[in-house]
Amino acid sequence: MKTYLAQRLTIAVLTLLGMSMVIFALLRLAPGDIVDILFSTAGYVSPSEKQAIMKELGIDRPYWVQYLDWLRQIGTGDLGKSYRYDVPAWQIVRPLLPVTLELAALSMVFAVLFGVPTGVVSAVRQDSTLDYVLRVFSLAGLSMPAFWLGMVIILGLVTWFRWIPPLTYVSPMEDLKLHAVQFLLPALAVGYRSSALIMRITRSSLLEVLREDYIRTARAKGQSGRVVVWRHALKNAMLPVVTVIGIEFAFLIGGLVVTETVFNLPGVARFLVQAILWRDYPIVQNLVMFIAIVVILSNLLVDMLYGVLDPRVRYGG
Amino acid sequence: MTRARIAALPASFALFTLTLASPATTEAQTPKSGGVLNMMLREDLAQGFAIHETATISTVWPAMPCFNNLVLFDPLKKTESVDTVVGELAEKWSWQDNFRNLVFFLRKGVKWHDGQPFTAKDVKFTFDMLREAADAPAKLRINPRKDWYANVEAIEAPDPSTVVFRLKKPQPSLLLMLASGYTPVYAAHVPPASYRTGCVGTGPFKLKEWRKGEFVELVRNPDYFVKGRPYLEGLKYFPIVERGTRQAALQAGKLDVSFPGETTKTAAEQLKAAVPQLVVTPYNQNVSDNIIMNVKKPPFDNPKVRLAVSHAIDRRALVRAVHQGGAVVGASLAPKPWGFWGLAEKDLLGLPGYATNPADEKARARQLMAEAGYSPEKPLRVEIVTRAIAVYVDMASFVINELKQIGIDASLKQIETAQWHAMATRGDYQIGANLTGIGPDDPDANFYENYACGSPRNYSQYCSEEVMKLIDAQSQELDPKRRLAMVYAIQRRLEADAARPILDWKLDYFTVWPHVKNLIPHQSIYNFGRMQDVWTDK
Repeated sequence: MKTYLAQRLTIAVLTLLGMSMVIFALLRLAPGDIVDILFSTAGYVSPSEKQAIMKELGIDRPYWVQYLDWLRQIGTGDLGKSYRYDVPAWQIVRPLLPVTLELAALSMVFAVLFGVPTGVVSAVRQDSTLDYVLRVFSLAGLSMPAFWLGMVIILGLVTWFRWIPPLTYVSPMEDLKLHAVQFLLPALAVGYRSSALIMRITRSSLLEVLREDYIRTARAKGQSGRVVVWRHALKNAMLPVVTVIGIEFAFLIGGLVVTETVFNLPGVARFLVQAILWRDYPIVQNLVMFIAIVVILSNLLVDMLYGVLDPRVRYGG
Repeated sequence: MTRARIAALPASFALFTLTLASPATTEAQTPKSGGVLNMMLREDLAQGFAIHETATISTVWPAMPCFNNLVLFDPLKKTESVDTVVGELAEKWSWQDNFRNLVFFLRKGVKWHDGQPFTAKDVKFTFDMLREAADAPAKLRINPRKDWYANVEAIEAPDPSTVVFRLKKPQPSLLLMLASGYTPVYAAHVPPASYRTGCVGTGPFKLKEWRKGEFVELVRNPDYFVKGRPYLEGLKYFPIVERGTRQAALQAGKLDVSFPGETTKTAAEQLKAAVPQLVVTPYNQNVSDNIIMNVKKPPFDNPKVRLAVSHAIDRRALVRAVHQGGAVVGASLAPKPWGFWGLAEKDLLGLPGYATNPADEKARARQLMAEAGYSPEKPLRVEIVTRAIAVYVDMASFVINELKQIGIDASLKQIETAQWHAMATRGDYQIGANLTGIGPDDPDANFYENYACGSPRNYSQYCSEEVMKLIDAQSQELDPKRRLAMVYAIQRRLEADAARPILDWKLDYFTVWPHVKNLIPHQSIYNFGRMQDVWTDK
């Protein structure tokens, strides 16, 4: 187990190194830089002044020097300085992290809590009216982009209740109820799509398991339907579901970009878009690296869970 | 559109205005102190509070309450002219030596937000920095309005409460440029770069907190030099990137005020339908849609081709189709009543592209194209560039369709914001669909910036010695009537030369909740954000 973990972590570090190169290169390939944006807010460009600002920000140096400098900064825990705000990047990024992590976690919790039970019900009641209703509901979830659903929620709230969630982050210490509302609505918008996928996978996986011999044996031994489904069948049907949850979590982070924007939540994802538009390299590079780390860790967690769910899976040296 | 319908336009527009706006009633009530105004931003502050380093309303609107100018356009009056300029840090001012010297007598006892006293030294520091005087003690990283002060020869501070602007030649417009929201006085004891992250001003509100990307909070300045002002306890600005969310927040009452330049006619009508008590005031954004053609490069180095383009575009159809009536036609300055200096509708009729019969204009355009050597068999193929933002692209798409009708086969190339100004300044294009915003509604601010030979914002690179002489002459003209006539003549000339054909002037439908009082939009979005006299009846 330890050896496997060490291997996976080594691969993760190499993946992150590769990611850092891709992020760095892609940002430089994008047309324009922060200085162009600064001048665009002034409506003109002066080549000599532009050169002076590039020098001030250190983006006149060769790319490889800038890249190594960034790696060195990461190594020392220094994320550099935001070009746009002229303050340390960490100072900006730090308050954004909990917002995105909480929203992502809530969305995933909602997706699992809704997706798995409905998937089970749908499988157990295969081809019943309830099954059809749930399948249509899940299909709708897969077809609906999160940002559209988010906007519909906002417009619905303002039209019917003349109310929308708070425009700034409300801490749970400040007002727990408002905090919950602020996060539940976007979590619902993002989690709906994921729950639909989880529901469909749970359903198909469970249907397959329910036809296995050992399930028939359990039933023949007189065990109740509930025990057969929830104790024996579901555990064995969960392997593909857990895989999908892992993939969805990574996918969900991307979905947060628009949802945070629509709900005006001050999270990493929304800020990332703004930072990209401003070519604020230190912010973008470090935020994308953060997302990459979250994705890699969630995949690692999923792999670890396989062993818990299926005793046949063993992590050897 | 028939002549009768065109004639009916101003009347129907006036009716719409009356239906929507009733700002006059706000001034009659007795102001109340207290309360916080919640306002939207469409993006986070572009360059912090460094107004002098930007040319965007995204900075000016939230930063203006922190500062004061020497003079300012009266916040309570819609019109911006010499007659509506009031003193801020200057108690009074006087033109001397036949408009060669502008002397300001400063208020005494004014303090910066950090407690330091304000003196003439701060004024000299600010304007020496802006005009990039040889002995200026500080330099701005980006200085977009250096040209405004090209005529200032020296600034003297003979004593702590007197400042003299010595000019190379008379320039009555200087006072108007000093009255713009773009012209605050910076503190000499604070590095100019620090305004990108904070704000030490003398203004009615002090910066309390700027949580990046989340909100900007300003609180009442208890030491403000105008006793009893500001009325409000604070201001809170929320950057909301998504337009739909901004509108929903205003509709829900989470925000009290729309963002200047943000609300189209259609959006205002939707808001009014949803919340009838909202107060909507149409006013001039002082932003024009225009066509930039690189006069240094073929085929637009040929005046006939430029003129053909100008003749081809039906301005009134553009106003109807793209702006749903939320704009007005005009030449290089906004027409009355939206602006002061622009040519009236009747004066535009003889100019390229302004005739009431678009078919005649198109026929003239085709004739010019033929004279330039183009025909249906040999069409002119060009790439029309525009900024990759909806308001630009919508206008460019309309223009492309118009140009097709005179044998110009134009394809659209969208340029990212990051590259747009660099490309335009370099002249690295043939033809472009552009938007131009002007700080104060003033000929000098506009002509020197957008039409003067060598100006970095003269994207067309149009340069006429004759026009430059006319621009200089109007700038020095002391008689207001004669100056207005000269400005009219310059506008006619610029349109006749197709220097930068103006297509329309965009209107904004500024929307506030009825409890917001004394927040009166001006003839330009850039000049009414001080908030000193604004109060709330909530």
